[in-house]
Amino acid sequence: MTDSALHIPAETARAPRARFWHDLSFWGLLPSRLLMGFALILPIFIIAAVSVATRGAYGGFTWDFNLAGYSQILFNEGWTGELEFTPQYLMIIGRTFLLAGATTLICLLFAVPVAYFISRQPPGRKAALVYLVTLPFWVSMILRVYAWMIILGKDGTLPKLLETLGLPAGMSFMFNDGATLTAMVYTAMPLMVLPVFASIEKLDGTLIEASHDLYGDRWVTLRRVILPLTAPGLTAGAILVFVPSLGAVLEPTLMGGGKQMMMGSLIQLQFGGGRNWPFGAAIAMALMALVMVFLIFTALRAARREATP
Amino acid sequence: MKKYLAATALALCFATSAQAAGELNIYAWAESISPDLIAKFSKENDVKVNVDSFTSNEDLLTKLQAGSSGYDIATPSQHFLRVMIDQGIIENFGANKLKAYENIEEKWRNQWWDEKQEYSIPLAYGTAGFVVNTDQYKGPTDSFKYFFEPAEELKGKIALLSYPDEVIGAAQLYLGVPFCSEDQAEMKKVLDLLMAQKPSVAVYSSDNIASRLASGEVSAHFWWDGDSLRARKTGSPVKLAMTKEGLVGWMDSYVIPKDAPNHDNAVKFIEFMSTAENATEQMNFYSHSSPMKVIADKVVNTKETAPELYPDVPITFSRTLGRRAGPRDPRLDAASPVVPLSRRGRPRRFPIPSRRLPCPCTPASAPSTRRRPIPSKS
Repeated sequence: MTDSALHIPAETARAPRARFWHDLSFWGLLPSRLLMGFALILPIFIIAAVSVATRGAYGGFTWDFNLAGYSQILFNEGWTGELEFTPQYLMIIGRTFLLAGATTLICLLFAVPVAYFISRQPPGRKAALVYLVTLPFWVSMILRVYAWMIILGKDGTLPKLLETLGLPAGMSFMFNDGATLTAMVYTAMPLMVLPVFASIEKLDGTLIEASHDLYGDRWVTLRRVILPLTAPGLTAGAILVFVPSLGAVLEPTLMGGGKQMMMGSLIQLQFGGGRNWPFGAAIAMALMALVMVFLIFTALRAARREATP
Repeated sequence: MKKYLAATALALCFATSAQAAGELNIYAWAESISPDLIAKFSKENDVKVNVDSFTSNEDLLTKLQAGSSGYDIATPSQHFLRVMIDQGIIENFGANKLKAYENIEEKWRNQWWDEKQEYSIPLAYGTAGFVVNTDQYKGPTDSFKYFFEPAEELKGKIALLSYPDEVIGAAQLYLGVPFCSEDQAEMKKVLDLLMAQKPSVAVYSSDNIASRLASGEVSAHFWWDGDSLRARKTGSPVKLAMTKEGLVGWMDSYVIPKDAPNHDNAVKFIEFMSTAENATEQMNFYSHSSPMKVIADKVVNTKETAPELYPDVPITFSRTLGRRAGPRDPRLDAASPVVPLSRRGRPRRFPIPSRRLPCPCTPASAPSTRRRPIPSKS
């Protein structure tokens, strides 16, 4: 404090300290602070509080401290009241991570060439292509998922296409994990393409030429030049896709037939038919904790990368 | 600055209160209330009516429990109505003093879910069972066996509702287990039946049932009588299975949530819907049976044209945790009645009451006979 005060010009240091509400920027920032506080931070605290409350008989909860919500993630209360280890919820968590991870990987695989292609177009066409990528955002998410139900479902577009190619009629691709994954990849794709495009666009073409001049083949150029330089965009895209995918509800419910749950649908079930709000809140907290771990991990890696040039 | 803020806040208050004066917010089963009647009510009383829909009693209960839902009218089924009364989240609006009460058929007044008919006015009743697409499935339908233990033909072609409500009841009817049994061995049988059925189930969903069934995406779907009737009348090849084990009965009623902002309009609407003329129109629209005194010769769905509504198999009304299992009951707090997990490797879809629940089901005043046939309409 004293150190930094030394650098402040004398007249500023001598001026009486203004109260913070006399500062105009306090009022200017107030709406965003209120929004953050009431729409973001307060709900998290409420969920945290509910997760340690006691469930009510018909749903709802009472304010009695109880860790049953958390213990239920690992332990099932048996018919006679004894606690026994149960892997079911861990399996749901595992499936969630598997599907979200697969979504991220597939999105990456598709997004990098697409973004590279767009970034090498003349400016006019580039703008048009970026616009096309964002186009799905104009349509409600539930409609986009329904569109896939029409494509993959019985008598849908894809089965009909296969039928004309001579494959057996009446195939349905709906109601399994593959259908869930398809819809998840589709809905998440623009979130991956845009940040990847932003970083690839800034890529200096001369560096690629330089790599080739130094006898780097295409693979080496990709691995040693393009990927390191676009890594921030890829990371941003991966976070933008992975984190929302962890909370997917619509896709497993509509495309997966509600049979193989993911964490999102499990949380929804606990607040609805399961009538176990504290447990639902506990899973929500667990989901958030896992997301935090993932984000901290990526942040640390990014920091380390910057530290070692 | 502060002056502006205060002025804005005041203006907002006035704006919302002025708007709410002529409003009515209804939360009802999807497509359950005739839009023509709503338009008529809206015009006659100069009230703006907003209708939201739900597809399960559980959703409705959760929403009302969360409080400040902003709804003036909701339409729970009988067992959830009982829960709502016990929880104190709906209002005693003196239903038995309304004209609407006089219009309820005598046999439907003062049932176990609202003994003095203070909290509710019934709206519709019916049954739930499984419905088949007759183009796809030609086999027998006279037992729940074909649904819960499907033959090769129906494997992967079955759909159930995504909520336990009436599905558990149907499984219990099939197995001969009493509703809300506390016998763990019996409930284990229900669980085993549903778990064994799961690989044959294509989807658990309460939405879009009509199109899923009509398109042949599935060949059999757990559904409600009137919905099946409506689908059949619009040309879908569907048939409600008259299962010899019986059907699960339900009755939906109008209730007013505790925090309803437009209480008076809600009462007005309930009165409006309950006149013989409007109840008849509502019945013809909804295609479920009406518990009100209706104008007999204006009823479209008669025994001849709508056999779905006049089943000749026994009906058992669903029950769920009832009055004696209050939330403050320490035994209940200790118990974990809803464990959505099986012990055998897959998430369990259906909550199974655990053994340690205090008797959840039978209210003291419930009639001793479990089975209650729906009397045929006079």
